[in-house]
Amino acid sequence: MNRPAPTTLVELRAMRLFARLTLDGYQWLLPQTEIHSLESLLDIDPDVRAPHSIGAIGLGGEWWPVYCLSGELQRLRQIPDSRRTCVLLDNRADRFGLVCDQAETLAEAPRLLELPACMRLPDSPIQALALLDGELGCVTTTEHLAALLAALAEDDGGY
Amino acid sequence: MATESPGQSAAWMLALDDHLSAAVGERELIHLIETPTLLEAPLSPYYCRQVMLWNHLLLPALDLSAWLWGRPQTDRDWKLAGVVAYQTAPGAAPDYGALLLMGVPQRLRVADIQACPLPKHPSGWREVALSCFRQGENAIPILDLPHLFTGGLLTC
Repeated sequence: MNRPAPTTLVELRAMRLFARLTLDGYQWLLPQTEIHSLESLLDIDPDVRAPHSIGAIGLGGEWWPVYCLSGELQRLRQIPDSRRTCVLLDNRADRFGLVCDQAETLAEAPRLLELPACMRLPDSPIQALALLDGELGCVTTTEHLAALLAALAEDDGGY
Repeated sequence: MATESPGQSAAWMLALDDHLSAAVGERELIHLIETPTLLEAPLSPYYCRQVMLWNHLLLPALDLSAWLWGRPQTDRDWKLAGVVAYQTAPGAAPDYGALLLMGVPQRLRVADIQACPLPKHPSGWREVALSCFRQGENAIPILDLPHLFTGGLLTC
């Protein structure tokens, strides 16, 4: 899969509204416009499997593959006890669900800061950083998460 | 007021861990922070897993000893961080980063005649140092801060 172009700080700042997804204590921020809905974990059908997913949620006559990632965005095969909700992400090109500990909309636009150059690993989905009540938030997009999921699938070689 | 003679300059010697020391120019170290509040950043290089808030900026907190030894130094309780300033080009606005330190920096005067080869071990000194000087029994590499903080280590 092609590496998605970085999303610039100017583009991200223009988005203003972000959702905070908590995964194992790590805070991940995504543009609010890419949050389609929140669904119950009970709605995940584990028998409907896209490769590397933990199941799928049926919505509007379509199956949305659902993935479970750690706070460091490593693929998990089982849902940890801390996961409480499933966020469906949709950027009109990629559609999938991600199980999270918590998901909420930030009331105010966070102050976004550039990821320092010495921390930019190739293919990192982190597009910016933000300070949220003394905690660090990592800004990403559905496109970059989709690319990461595709890269994880390639690394695994399928199963 | 301290002055330097021709062929002399001032530097700060930094303790990177119990065994490794390095130096930066006198004006490159601009602030020391005791018991820094370090925030963990996921998906970061093992030698730069944390950032630190300073003057409304998030600075990368570099554990250079981890990079030099080639492995993460786990469970280290950093008591000190040195904020350093560097320029990526002459006349450019300064950028900032933080080096995690094991002790209070020591100010030194360094003369040209103290120049010496870089230590052979760890071998990574060649990548991160501009030059080196002898201080007593020890060879002290002088750090190339722009290289460290603009991602030079990512390609090594």
